[in-house]
Amino acid sequence: MPDAAGAPPVEGRTDDAGRVGEGAQPDIWEVFRQEKDGDPMRHAGNVRAPDAELATHYARELYSRRQESVRLWVVPRTAIRDLSDPDLLQPPLDRSFKKPGGYVMRDKLDAARRRVAGEGGE
Amino acid sequence: MSMPADRRVTRAAVAPDVPAFDVHGLEPPVREALGELLLTMADDEFVLGFWDSEWTGIAPMLEEDVAFSSLAQDEIGHARVLYEMLAQLTGGDADEIAFGRPADRYRHCRLLDHPRTDWAFSVARRWLYDNADAVRLSALASSSFQPLAQLVAKLRREEVYHLMHMDIWLRRLADGGDEPRARLEAALAQLLPDALTPFAALDGEPALLEAGILTAPMSELADRHLERSSAVLAGLGIRIAGATPGRGSGRDRERASDAFQWLWSEFTMVIRSEEEAVW
Repeated sequence: MPDAAGAPPVEGRTDDAGRVGEGAQPDIWEVFRQEKDGDPMRHAGNVRAPDAELATHYARELYSRRQESVRLWVVPRTAIRDLSDPDLLQPPLDRSFKKPGGYVMRDKLDAARRRVAGEGGE
Repeated sequence: MSMPADRRVTRAAVAPDVPAFDVHGLEPPVREALGELLLTMADDEFVLGFWDSEWTGIAPMLEEDVAFSSLAQDEIGHARVLYEMLAQLTGGDADEIAFGRPADRYRHCRLLDHPRTDWAFSVARRWLYDNADAVRLSALASSSFQPLAQLVAKLRREEVYHLMHMDIWLRRLADGGDEPRARLEAALAQLLPDALTPFAALDGEPALLEAGILTAPMSELADRHLERSSAVLAGLGIRIAGATPGRGSGRDRERASDAFQWLWSEFTMVIRSEEEAVW
């Protein structure tokens, strides 16, 4: 599997992390799979391939040769926009007021259920 | 070597791909001819599967290692269903047919007598074989023997991918610079004399044609294959001087080739180690 550390530097892609987006190695493809019809597409892993055609074949071999998928999406890693900035995702100030934990819903839900049950019984 | 009855039951349970058929509905000469056809096809798939599995762990890149090994497994799977159909026809046992013969009794075509050699050679051989197989299967898709026609329809669905994959590799090597191209051309030059051996005439061919089990003579299928594959190679600018496909008998040999003798000793190693073992 791909290893960013061992790859030669690519012109115009100087991101040292080399994981996604502009900094990605151009021969890495991310694979998403759908296990059965109606399921969401979930990230399966990745393959290394020199072009889209072989990437599709390798995705098929690594993530569906035992019939474990009904659909695959194969995406060049360079197409992925990376967002991992802690200022955007993990801000330093207390944000507990944005969480719903401060509201006790249980009693209201119980009351609502009783009301609905009562209406159904009339 | 005899197979315990419970093993056959297990096999049948996991192998629903071969439809049950009435053996007695076939005239004895037709039955024999069909047996020969199934054996040659199964041996081809079996031997190619084992040759290509020799790349497991050492293919040019990890992804291709998995892909090529998977293709090799597919061929073993195709051999399995063909041997099972043959076993149903003859009242034998598929494993016994697959593993129980001495090396000189296999009927695979001479194209598959060569060793694995280098990557370009394995790609060239598989490309030639898969294209030949596609032509052969197309002539059996409308076979009058329904169980075979049904099985062939399934095999063809898998072979589509094999053709796609080998086509990519043929083109990559042809356009991949001096060394890959030189190796590819050398491999094709070596293989070309045996390229049409998958279509070697069968003893029972007249009976198969008359019964409509085979819908075209092998010689005609060979022409079809030669025309198609030559066109692709010409499109890539590959012209092999001095090598012409042989038309002789491609499945009969005095004795097993050294390469195949070695492969046989590999794939029968486990079963020979304990002949009465139950798997």
